[in-house]
Amino acid sequence: MKKCIFLIILAILSLNLLICLSVLDHQVQAKGNAGEDKITVLSPKGQPPPIQLKPMAPRLDTLDGKTVYLINDGYLGTDILLGEMQAWFKANMPEVTAVYKMKGGGGFTAEDPVLWAEIEEKADAVVMGMGH
Amino acid sequence: MAAVVGHCVNIESKLGVPTVPLITSEFYEQVKTHHTIQKGMPGLRVTYLIPPVWGKTAEQIRDDIVGNSPPTGKMIMREIVENLTKPLTAEEKKTGIIEQSSGPASFTDTTDHLQQMFLENRMTDYMPIILPTEERVAEMLKGTSHDPDEVVGKMAAHTAMPGDNNVEVFEHWFYTVRTVAINAVMAGARPEYLPVILAVASTGKEGISVSDNSFTEGLIINGPIRDEIGLNYGIGALGPFSQANSTIGRAWNLLSINAGNCGRVGTTYMGVIGNPMNWNNVIMAENEEASPWKPFHVRRGFKPSDSVVTLCEGWGILSAKNSRYSVWAREMDFSGTLKKIVADQDMLFGAMAVLSPPVANYIRDEGFDTVEKLVQFLSESAGGQGGFPQAKEMPPFPKGKLPQGKMPFPRGPQINIVVTGGANNNYWSYGGMAPRQSVLIDDWR
Repeated sequence: MKKCIFLIILAILSLNLLICLSVLDHQVQAKGNAGEDKITVLSPKGQPPPIQLKPMAPRLDTLDGKTVYLINDGYLGTDILLGEMQAWFKANMPEVTAVYKMKGGGGFTAEDPVLWAEIEEKADAVVMGMGH
Repeated sequence: MAAVVGHCVNIESKLGVPTVPLITSEFYEQVKTHHTIQKGMPGLRVTYLIPPVWGKTAEQIRDDIVGNSPPTGKMIMREIVENLTKPLTAEEKKTGIIEQSSGPASFTDTTDHLQQMFLENRMTDYMPIILPTEERVAEMLKGTSHDPDEVVGKMAAHTAMPGDNNVEVFEHWFYTVRTVAINAVMAGARPEYLPVILAVASTGKEGISVSDNSFTEGLIINGPIRDEIGLNYGIGALGPFSQANSTIGRAWNLLSINAGNCGRVGTTYMGVIGNPMNWNNVIMAENEEASPWKPFHVRRGFKPSDSVVTLCEGWGILSAKNSRYSVWAREMDFSGTLKKIVADQDMLFGAMAVLSPPVANYIRDEGFDTVEKLVQFLSESAGGQGGFPQAKEMPPFPKGKLPQGKMPFPRGPQINIVVTGGANNNYWSYGGMAPRQSVLIDDWR
């Protein structure tokens, strides 16, 4: 009888222990899962504009007899670079007229309407440097 | 390189003349995936050069131009000829409109995953952010009376100076009051800071410049707003010692990254060395009460009671103790030292002296009772010195641009004085920072 009571008590204690462990486990799990709840946040991005594709200029059949403007936008070393390119045209493609021009306007990004007008009137092609 | 692309796109599309932009090959990805597309001419025929070009001799460049272009393997001069003569492909002849999207309006996930997603998609400054939930953004929006859907402005990775006649280099992204508020939340700002952040945003000035010079940006904040939002203009004024100082500059940067498409290494950020001041920019609330002179914004035409933010750009600010002219002495010649340091500054952004109140008061006591008198003194005396030690190391300037025999130096409006910081010692700082727009914060309350 005593043995039976002891076993019943042991069973009840074990059951309690299991329940406690389960609750504890649940509590631990709940704590661990607290950061796992999903939330919704807003996008911080701005709106990029649509891009209008612009037409490229038709290419030349040949550079023979044509005038190529070599335009310096002002970055350091571009004068030497374009000078050497001008010399290369003279030595290797003498039928090309390579004209060296300095873009004005005070800065790489500055517009130079006078030069643009001259290009429209006199140039068949443009080589511009230098993106650095 | 973006400027060369912009000019060539205009020459092709407006003048009908074929072009070949010359760009060093370091920028191949940037140009191919970004600039040519943004400018509406993805087929622009760029010839890439062997970098660097600057610094090479004529002989070296002569060899380079008959060498192979790194991305294509073709001889550079032959490729230029081919780019001007090979008929356009069907792809290159395409016209129409490319619509762009900035992605979904919201994201749902766990907080850890969202932090990681923001970081991996370069929507942060690589520091943890406050996640912008709808509730937090709504709370932030209480900081202004403006409609959340109002368009505040547009921003690009490079902004021309006001009044400049420049080709547009980068595309401008648009943003609303809500977008600014979202980025302000992310930065850790409080709702009462929002009018300052909106005022800055309204200018469209980027917080992170694309320039390979590694510029930094800055703000000078004046007026009652300083005390209203707890900006620090005492000890450590330029450091991270108040929530307002720490988060306003960060909000500007996050807005620039997310709403202006700035700060993307390889495309919209090319700073060679980088600049640690880019973390938060240089935030300067002026110590008007301890200054012997009129506040900065009043000298720019505003009323003392106006709350104003002035945007600056430049190299940054550092201690004057970094200068060999700034030596400890029993009797400090502050104006004389300032004169020498100012005269050594670069012309691009001029000179900015950030004086602690004691130093400013010493200078006032020397007889400079207005900033204008001080600036006049600095301009005149610097010119009298002629050349400077580093003159021989400077690259040559275009002929006819400079006075013969003298190096250029900042003068007049290129010299700017700000008074801030504590009164606990006679220190001051300086740098090359040029003030740009001044904006009334009160318009954004």
